[in-house]
Amino acid sequence: MAGLRVDETRCIGCARCVRACAHGGIKVEHRLAHPTDACVFCGACIDACPVDAISIERDEAAADLSVYRDIWVFAQVDKGGAVLPVAFELLGRARALAAQRACAVVALLPQGPNGTGAPERELIACGADRVLTVHDARMVPLDAEMCAGWICGLAQQLKPEIILYGATAFGRELAPMVAVRLETGLTADCTRLEIDEATGLLQQTRPAFGGNLMATIECPARRPQMATVRPGVFAGDACACPVTVSDDAVKDKIVTCPLDASARPRVRVLATEPAQQGASIAQAKRLVVVGRGIGSKKHLPLMQRIARALDAELGCTRPLVEAGWLEYPHQVGQTGVSVAPELLVSIGVSGAIQHLAGISGAKTIIAINEDAQAPIFGIAHYQVVGDAIEIVNNLVRELESAAPRL
Amino acid sequence: MAAIDEHAGTVRIVPLTHEHDDYLHDESRSRGEAESISFPTTEDEVRSILRSLHAAATPITVQGARTGLAAGAVPHGGHVLNLSRMNRVLGMRRDDAGAFFVRVQPGVILSELRKNLHARSFGTEGWDDVSLQALHALADAPEQIFPTDPTEASACLGGMAACNASGARSYTHGAMRQHVSALRLVLASGDVLALHRGGERAHGRHLSLTTEGGQTLEIELPTYVMPACKNASGYFVEDGMDAIDLVIGSDGTLGVISELELALVPAPAVTWDVSCFFTAEHDALDATEAMRSELGCAAAIEYFDGAALDILRRQRTESTAFSSLAEPPADVACCVYVELQCASEDEALAELTRLGALVERAGGSAEHTWVARTELDREALTFFRHAVPESVNMLIDERRRTDPAITKLGSDMAVPNERLHEVMDLYRTTIAKAGLEAAAWGHIGNNHLHVNILPRSAAEYAAGKELFARWAHAVTAMGGAVSAEHGVGKLKRDFLEIMYGRQALAEMARVKLAFDPCGQLGRGNLFGEELLDALRQAEASALDDNAEKGGA
Amino acid sequence: MHIVVCVKAVPASTEVKMDPVTNTIVRDGGDAVVNPFDATALELALRLREKRRAAGEDTRISVLSMGIPATERLLRDCIARGATDALLLSDRAFAGADTLATTHALTCGIRELGMPDLVLCGKMAVDGDTAQIGPELAGALDMACVTDVRALVACEHDAVTVYAGGDAGVSLIEATLPCVLTVAKEAATLRMPSIAGVLAAEHAAVDVRGAAEVGADAARIGLSGSPTQVVRSFVPEQQAAGVEVSGDTTAQAKQLVRIIEEVA
Repeated sequence: MAGLRVDETRCIGCARCVRACAHGGIKVEHRLAHPTDACVFCGACIDACPVDAISIERDEAAADLSVYRDIWVFAQVDKGGAVLPVAFELLGRARALAAQRACAVVALLPQGPNGTGAPERELIACGADRVLTVHDARMVPLDAEMCAGWICGLAQQLKPEIILYGATAFGRELAPMVAVRLETGLTADCTRLEIDEATGLLQQTRPAFGGNLMATIECPARRPQMATVRPGVFAGDACACPVTVSDDAVKDKIVTCPLDASARPRVRVLATEPAQQGASIAQAKRLVVVGRGIGSKKHLPLMQRIARALDAELGCTRPLVEAGWLEYPHQVGQTGVSVAPELLVSIGVSGAIQHLAGISGAKTIIAINEDAQAPIFGIAHYQVVGDAIEIVNNLVRELESAAPRL
Repeated sequence: MAAIDEHAGTVRIVPLTHEHDDYLHDESRSRGEAESISFPTTEDEVRSILRSLHAAATPITVQGARTGLAAGAVPHGGHVLNLSRMNRVLGMRRDDAGAFFVRVQPGVILSELRKNLHARSFGTEGWDDVSLQALHALADAPEQIFPTDPTEASACLGGMAACNASGARSYTHGAMRQHVSALRLVLASGDVLALHRGGERAHGRHLSLTTEGGQTLEIELPTYVMPACKNASGYFVEDGMDAIDLVIGSDGTLGVISELELALVPAPAVTWDVSCFFTAEHDALDATEAMRSELGCAAAIEYFDGAALDILRRQRTESTAFSSLAEPPADVACCVYVELQCASEDEALAELTRLGALVERAGGSAEHTWVARTELDREALTFFRHAVPESVNMLIDERRRTDPAITKLGSDMAVPNERLHEVMDLYRTTIAKAGLEAAAWGHIGNNHLHVNILPRSAAEYAAGKELFARWAHAVTAMGGAVSAEHGVGKLKRDFLEIMYGRQALAEMARVKLAFDPCGQLGRGNLFGEELLDALRQAEASALDDNAEKGGA
Repeated sequence: MHIVVCVKAVPASTEVKMDPVTNTIVRDGGDAVVNPFDATALELALRLREKRRAAGEDTRISVLSMGIPATERLLRDCIARGATDALLLSDRAFAGADTLATTHALTCGIRELGMPDLVLCGKMAVDGDTAQIGPELAGALDMACVTDVRALVACEHDAVTVYAGGDAGVSLIEATLPCVLTVAKEAATLRMPSIAGVLAAEHAAVDVRGAAEVGADAARIGLSGSPTQVVRSFVPEQQAAGVEVSGDTTAQAKQLVRIIEEVA
C-alpha cells in the first residue's frame, strides 16, 4: 500500500518535517516522526529531513514504457487559421528536449477545411519534424472535445512520450480532456521543462503555494507525460530564424489524420464578443500596476494618467479589486491575470507572493514603494523608495512635458 | 518643573499657513480659522504648550483624527492643538479578576488598536514590567477587543472619549464612557488632573478635585436631569457621580485628555450578523421591540429604511465600486440588522430560532433574511452597512455641485424605548408634509435614528434645518436627547438649549470655567462664546464688588 | 432537473508567508472556506433553480466534495444557502490525489448521487490553480464541457446556454446536456443563507462516504491513483538585487524617465 514511510533507524526526531508541513500531515512523538491522516503526500517533509529518513512509497505499475517515443506539441490556430506564438515557443523547447531523448518533434495541427498549407510549413520551418493535421469543419471554431478525441486516437496509435500544450484558455480545457481519456498525468502552467539525465523522465517545474515554492513534478509510470505552459514562458526558445522549406521538402512531413466520422460536437458557439480588458493586460507591452500603497481611491485618476503617459495598460493587486476600486479583469497575479510585459511599473505594491508569481514574466520591473522592506523590491530591476504619489506626480509632469504636443 | 521645561524648546508652535488647511475642518464639513498650530507627542509637551498660551488666554481647539460630525474640532480662532502624533500605546495591565486594560495616548487610531489587539502585538518601547507581563498574559488569553464601535474606525480614542462616541454596539456595550477606567486631563493652566473610575466621586451635586499641582477645584454640578435614553448632549451629571464621567463627553471644553486607560472585554466566541427585511416600516418597529425583549445576545440592532435601500440599489447598478454589494430582496421596504454575540454556536442557533419566530410574528419572513456567519459574509454585510452613509455623502456632494449651499443634514436624536413608534411617526408625517426627500438609518435598538434630509435646493436645506429644530422640541418633550452620539460640538448648541433651557447652559458654563477660568478650551463647543464671556464678566465684577466691600 | 455542484475546501487566506529562518511555509490560513470559484458555481445553480421554479419546475441541487471529515461543516453551509443535499467523500484512501485521482473519486460520487443534467464547478481552486478538474470530469462522465462561464443564460430541455470566456473573447455558447460548466469567480457572489435555511440545514443529513462505499477503484484514487508525483520542492532563487533609484522625488522621477526610455 502506498504511503509516507519514516525510516525509524534514521529519524532523529528533529521535527524539521513538522515545521515544513503546511498541512499538519506529520508529527513527532517519542522522538520519532509519524505521518498523520492529514498528509497529502506533497513531499515537503522529504526535502526538509536532514537525514533522509522520509520517503513516499508508491505502487509502481510495471508497464512497458519503452514503446513510447517522440515529443508532440499542440499547435493552436486562431480564428484566421494562423498558429499562435506559444506553439513556436513550445516547439523550440521541444527541440532541446528531443535532442536529449534522441527523438522527433511532432506538431499537432487541427484546422478547418480550407487550410492554406502555410501553418504546416511554418511549423516545420520552426522545428517540427512532422506535422499531424486534420482539415475538418468540426474544428471551426476549435472544439476541445473534438480535438481531444482526435489527439487521443493518434496517441493510442502512435504512442508519444510527451505532449506539450500552450496554457491558453483552449489549451487549459483541451489538455485535461486528453489526460483523463488517456489516464495519464498533466502538470499545469510549467515554468521549466527538463529531461532528467538518469531516468529520461520529463521534469516539470511549476510554482506551488503561490510561487513561494517551486515544485518539480514527474509522471514516472504513465505515458504520455503531459504539461501546459503559459504563453511567453519559453519565448526565448522560439526559433529565431526559421529555415526556408520548399513544398517538396515538407510533403512527406505532413500527415493528414482524419477525425472519427461519428464524432459530433456538443458545444456550439452562437456569437463572440471580442476580448476585453483581461486580454489587453495579459498581452500589454507596458503595464502600470497599482496596489494598496496608493492610499486612496482618489489617486486612481493620477494612476490612469501615468498609464496614459506611458502608453501602458493599468493593472492592480487583489486588495484593490476586493475594495472595488478596479474591476477583476485588472487584477494582476496568480488569481488574476499573469502578465509578461516589456516594462512593468509597480506603484504602491508591497508584493504578496501570488502577485509576484503573476508578474515574474515581466522583462523590466520598476517598483515604487514607500517601504524599503517591501517584497516587491526583491523582484524589481529598479527600486524606487519614496512617497509613491509624489514620485508619480513628478513622473507624470516629466513625461507629459517631454511628450511632443500634437 | 525643570524636567518639563526642557521639553518646551522642542515643541513648536507654528503659524497656521495654507499647508495646514486640512486642520481647519472636520467631517462635519464646516470650516473655522486659527492663527497657530502644534503637534505635541507627549503629555509634557502638551503641558508646556498650554502654559505658554495661558498668560494671553489664547483660545485653544483640541483635535484628534477630525472624524467628528459636530464640528467640535473646528477651531474658533487662536491655537489648534492637534494630538494625532500622540499615537502610542503606553502600556497595559491585568487586574485580579483577569480583565485587561490598555493605556493609550489620545491620538491612537481605533483601527490601529484593533489591529494590535487582534495580532496581540504592540510596539513595547518604554513599557514597564507590569505592562510587559500583561502583554505576555494576553498572548495566552482569549482574544480581547475594545467594544466601542463608531462606524468610523479611523477615529482616535481621545476624540471618542471627548464626545462619548458610541455606534451600533452601544446597544449592549454602551457608549465609550463605561469603557474608560482612567484618564489624565491637562488643564488650561498646564496643571494635570488624574482621574480613576471609582476614585473621585461627587457629593450630591458638588465635586471637589485636587490637581497634581495641588490646586483644588470646587465644582457645582448643573441641576438638570439627563434623559433616560442614549445621550451625548452636554455634560454628564447625576447625584454622586464619578468625576471621570464629567470629562468623558465634555467636547474638549474642560481640558486636554493626554492619556486614557481603556477596559478591554473578551471577544465573543460566535458573532453572527442577521439582516431581516420587512415590507412595512411598522412591522420593522414591532420586530425591533420584540428583539429588545426576547433576544439575549443582540449586541446591535440597526435599521435601514426604504429610501436608504433604494439608494443602495441605485449604487449597485451605477457605480462599479458598489457593484459587489449584496442585493436586497426586490419588494422589501426596510431592513433591521441584528448582530448576535454568543458564547457558543448552540446558543447562537437558539437565538436565531427566536429571531426567526419573532420576525414572522412581526409580519416579516424567515426566508427574507441574511445570516452572515463566515468572515466573508460578515465583510459583505459590513460593506453593505457602510455603503449607506457613503452613498448619501456622494449624493449630497453631487447636489452641492449645483448649489454649494446644500450640505448634509443628519439628525442624531434618541428617545426612550416606549416612544419608538411615536418618534418614527413624527419623522414620517413632518417629512411628508414638508415635501422633503430623506433617508433614515441607524441605531434603532436605542431608538436612535440618523434621519438624513437630502435637500435638492437651498430652500429645502433651510426647510430641513427648521424641521430639525421642531424635532428637537418634540424629542425633548418625549424625554429624549437632541444628540445621542455625535456630541453637541458647535453645530447643535441651539438644540442643547432647547433640551435643557438657558439656565442649565449657564450652569454648564460655570462648570467649564471652574476647570478653565479663562475660557480658552474648545470655544464655541456646547455653548456660545457670548454666554461664557458674559459669565466671566459677571464673576469678575462680583469679585470687584466683594473687594470693594472688603475694603470699605 | 438535477445539478451537482463540486466544491473544495481551501484555506480562508491563501496569503502564504515564508519563515525566513527555517525557509518553510507559514500557513496562517485560518478556517477552511469553500473555494470562492465553487461558491460562485453554487450561486449560479441556485439562480437557475429560481428561474425554473418560476416556470413551475423542480430542481435538485447536490453539493459534492472530497475532503477531510471537517468539510462536512462547509457542505452544511451550502445546504443552508439552498442546496438540496450533500455528499462528502472522506477516506484516508483518497489522500494524496492529483487531479486524475480526484476526478475518479468525484466521478464515483456523482454516480452515487445519480447522473445529473448539469455539473458545475469553479474554474479553478485558489490553492491549486490547475483548472483541470472540470474538463477531466467531463471526459470521465462523457459530458459536454464549457469552461470559464461568466453567466448562465438559459437551461431548457436538452441544452444549456452560457456566456463563457475563451481566447477570442467572451462567447455565447450552447451546449448539449448533460454538461459540465466551470465557473469564473466574477460571474456572481454567493448569497447569504436565510434564518430558515440555517435552521433547516442543522437538521439536514450530510452523507459521508468512504471509497469502498461509492465503488471507487482503489488503484485509481489517492496517492496510488495519481500518475504525477512531486519529486522536489524548493525555494526559487531570488534574482540579484535591482538598481536603486535614489535622490529626492524630483531626482527619482527624472532618472525614471531615462530608465524608461532605455528599456522600452
